[in-house]
Amino acid sequence: MTTTQTTDTKIRLDAVRLEYVKEEGRSRHLAVESISLDIRDKEFLVVVGPSGCGKSTLISAIAGFLKPTGGHITMDGREITRPGADRGVVFQEYALLPWKRVIDNVALGLKFKGVPKAERYATARRFLAITNLADAEQKFPHELSGGMKQRAAVARTLANAPEVMLMDEPFAAVDAQTRMTLQEELVRVWEQARLTVLFVTHSVEEAVFLGDRVVVLTPGPGRIKSIVDVSIPRARRNWQEMNQDPEFIRLRDEVLVQVRGQPVAA
Amino acid sequence: MNAGLLTPATERFLKGAAGVLVLVALWQASVPLVGLEPYFYPSPADVWHAFVELMEKGILPVYLVDSLYRYLLGVGLGIVLGIAAGLLIGLSATASRILTPLINFLFAIVEVAWIPIFVIWFGYGFKTILIALVYVVLFPLLYNTLLGVRTVPQVYVNAARSLGATRLQLIKDVILPAALPNIITGLRVGAGFAFRGLIFAEIIAAKTGIGYLIFEGASTQQTARTIVGMIVMGLLWLFLDRCYLKPIERVTIERWGQVTTAEDRE
Repeated sequence: MTTTQTTDTKIRLDAVRLEYVKEEGRSRHLAVESISLDIRDKEFLVVVGPSGCGKSTLISAIAGFLKPTGGHITMDGREITRPGADRGVVFQEYALLPWKRVIDNVALGLKFKGVPKAERYATARRFLAITNLADAEQKFPHELSGGMKQRAAVARTLANAPEVMLMDEPFAAVDAQTRMTLQEELVRVWEQARLTVLFVTHSVEEAVFLGDRVVVLTPGPGRIKSIVDVSIPRARRNWQEMNQDPEFIRLRDEVLVQVRGQPVAA
Repeated sequence: MNAGLLTPATERFLKGAAGVLVLVALWQASVPLVGLEPYFYPSPADVWHAFVELMEKGILPVYLVDSLYRYLLGVGLGIVLGIAAGLLIGLSATASRILTPLINFLFAIVEVAWIPIFVIWFGYGFKTILIALVYVVLFPLLYNTLLGVRTVPQVYVNAARSLGATRLQLIKDVILPAALPNIITGLRVGAGFAFRGLIFAEIIAAKTGIGYLIFEGASTQQTARTIVGMIVMGLLWLFLDRCYLKPIERVTIERWGQVTTAEDRE
């Protein structure tokens, strides 16, 4: 758990402590006790941990929805204090605006920036094509399947050209087959977009399939248990190959042991 | 027996018209049986003659236009003020603390109680009626807008903010549309309240209008005129409901597929 400052650090978490006030009561819940972590520029970092380990809270804090009650979160050396278009978020519940057509959802960030309509539609169409949604641009979100909604949400985030994409268990609500397709597509899309990704999941398989590095958190309140490097080449990252890849199987089992809290096999 | 000859809509209309005709026929037939003076129990023919007379003298068109003008202007102003106040209270904690007790208190004083003092301040006629209507429409709009604003799913707000929305863009593109189903509920309630309020205010504080016609007809023993006024009032409400409230609902709520926040959460 070293936090050596390297020149290519994009986001730095320094002894971050996160609490949130529970909806009804006045009680505060400690989600993350103390996390120090460097997210490197243009890496695909996955945080994995059991539910209640504070991984989604971590995303909220980096997105700027929630202020840490201790420590610091910086991006390019500047303290994060509020949400901003430099950090795009993909939510588990998609968060597409139901009153806007798919293309207007995808073009929304550009609209906020004041990009003229023709130009922002052109950009939106490019990202709809990348995410296999070209035929759905005139639909409303409720007409889409779960997988299509999440593709649209990814397209919306990418069309806004953020420096970092924060993904909060984005594929948790879709069926298993769709999830595998979306994971493969994300690998491909990320190859093209090449931006920093922080991806949070409770699925060990998903973590090892997607990540350059996998951070394992302890059960809540979350702390970093270990960081596992995944050096499987991107070209092999499809389920057909990965399922038989000994390196993938070895890393998956290693992370699984970490997550389940059993002693690490030597 | 006429199945296949008529469209379902035409058939429905004819059946509805048959019901009205039967009622009018029974009414006409009952007049000799009751055997009372026309001012006590006018026949449909008396009402028809009163209607023709009111049209020929140009009284009814003028009254109708006056009533419609007061209604539309009062409802329009009430909608704008109600939505604005609902937004203000919903978005500003300070405004909420200052205004909520005051508004709850004012809401408890029904508009009927205000009309006498409005008459003292503003005299009989247009101003008093307009202010009474605005007052009646304001509260349902305010409460429903407030409810809508307070129940905007946080994830929509977070999504828009991390796409770079300014506060104004957030209100325009997220909060107002998300609150729109509630606002429309307020509109329906307010429009109904206002219609009753209009007739009532015209009875007390006007020298023209449909409410005045109803009141004045009865107090001068021109009972047929009162019934003309009542029928026009009913038709006017049906007209407003069909031509203005239903279409608004159709283009918003129905097009989003009865969107609720539950739909996006799994």
